[in-house]
Amino acid sequence: MTAATMAGNRPQRPSRTKRNLALLGVGLIVAAAVATVDVDPAEILELPAGVALLFREMFLDPGPDWSYLPTAMEGMLESIQIAWVGTVIGAILSLPLGFFGAKNVSSPLVSNVVRQFLNVIRAFPEIILAITIMIPIAGLTPVAGALALGIHSIGTLGKLTAEVVEGIDPGPVEAARAAGGRPLQIQRWGILPQVLPEIVAFWLYRFEINIRASAILGAVGAGGIGFSLQQTIVFHRYELAGTAIIVVVVATIAVDTVSGWVRRRIIEGADARARPGDVEALGSPLREDTAIG
Amino acid sequence: MTTAAVQPRRPAKPRPSLVVPIGIVAFLAITWASLSEQFGIAFDLGKILEDITAGGEILISDRDSAAQYGLLVPNWAFLPQTVEPMIETFQMAVLAATIGCAVALPVAFVVSRVTTPNSPTFVLGRSVLSVVRAIPDILYALMFVASVSIGPLAGIAALVLFNIGVVAKLLSETVDGVDQGPIEAARAGGSNRPQTVRWAVLPQVLPNYVAYALYTFELNIRAATVIGIVGAGGIGYLLRGQYQFFNWSNVSVIIIVLFVCVFFIEMISIWLRRRLV
Repeated sequence: MTAATMAGNRPQRPSRTKRNLALLGVGLIVAAAVATVDVDPAEILELPAGVALLFREMFLDPGPDWSYLPTAMEGMLESIQIAWVGTVIGAILSLPLGFFGAKNVSSPLVSNVVRQFLNVIRAFPEIILAITIMIPIAGLTPVAGALALGIHSIGTLGKLTAEVVEGIDPGPVEAARAAGGRPLQIQRWGILPQVLPEIVAFWLYRFEINIRASAILGAVGAGGIGFSLQQTIVFHRYELAGTAIIVVVVATIAVDTVSGWVRRRIIEGADARARPGDVEALGSPLREDTAIG
Repeated sequence: MTTAAVQPRRPAKPRPSLVVPIGIVAFLAITWASLSEQFGIAFDLGKILEDITAGGEILISDRDSAAQYGLLVPNWAFLPQTVEPMIETFQMAVLAATIGCAVALPVAFVVSRVTTPNSPTFVLGRSVLSVVRAIPDILYALMFVASVSIGPLAGIAALVLFNIGVVAKLLSETVDGVDQGPIEAARAGGSNRPQTVRWAVLPQVLPNYVAYALYTFELNIRAATVIGIVGAGGIGYLLRGQYQFFNWSNVSVIIIVLFVCVFFIEMISIWLRRRLV
């Protein structure tokens, strides 16, 4: 055998045309954005100095004003409550919607309609819902914020619930049917126990996301810490803003930690009981990515 | 042998766990406190229903503005004015996603145990990242608007930080879960750490990275709208100008434009991501 035939056995290099075309496309889009965006290059150079100055005033000199701490903590508590109420609204309403949206439980027509409805809800950011619908209706109150978060959460949680229900093990459903269960009984005993741990974990995850969202809703007047943040920064009271930011960061990380621990406990408990493999299902980034949007 | 003997023994019922009742009680207590007027946000379903009946009128016929229309009657003459701000929102989303993803790639390797066995670096990286992630994007926008000026630059800078947080977290979790085989092979072949990352880890996570980049762009359209409301340029800034003066029929057009754009981008992005991962 000659070297030439040996070389012929080597697998061919996969074509890179598609990849290169994609890179070229992305490059062109980015270049077009750079060329046309309305940004003054001189301002970019000023940015680091401006941020450094702001940072200094907030945290070093004069630094956070601790007398503002009780006010900031009260605002943060309100933000957490807004997030909680929003999540509860979303959780309660999304559970039946998720079942109706799952193809293996409801009819194709119903599941399609429900899915589209959920998609439409999800397309509106919470803050847009708050500004355009909730604040005109419920006024500049925390309730408006909670309703806006609740409606958006129905969209995301409903979609996730439907996906989880579609991924169930059909065994228990068949068993419940064989034992003479009516449709509602089949759902209660054949499906719900399988999906509940994962769905509750998503509720908690949504709560974590809603805390971030509710912290910003205040900036448009819907209650909570966002209002303090917006007012202190707009009026250049950076020593107060620094305090509020510290409260937001500490509270967010604290809630994330507790909620993350509970989520892991729920999922691992579920795993020990029946279904191996679900730990990855929740932990996997793409799962998480659907939960964010 | 009797039938009773043949029958397998019925398994013992699992001991009732206290975790579930405690969880339910905690849930009810927190919910009650949050809803109450005294400790929480004073959530009153009756009042909400009342407000909806009253507020519904405002949405349909707006008495405060000269336009005489509400949210349900879009003012299509306003449509051309939304084009330029919408393009600006796109530009912000593209640039922030590009810069944010580029920065997030090395950061993700620093905050994964697989690629950073050095504890101090790992812990420091993790802590900084969780602080970056704990600050809401709108707060970044408020800060940049205060320190630079109103306009897209503040928005891009805010989105970059937001994107670094999202992509670095998602990607570091992917890196945590890579197959160890190629890493061992690279090390056995004499690679140093950067080489191992480049040839054993990066190829494994690259498809996910591209998927996250697309996802970030998608998120950015929405996020850019939101931060625009506090002065960071784009369609959000236009929206603020309209809703502050109760021009609901113009707001309505902006929302429709936004909805259509978000919907199409999401469809394209999901299609591309499916092909990648």
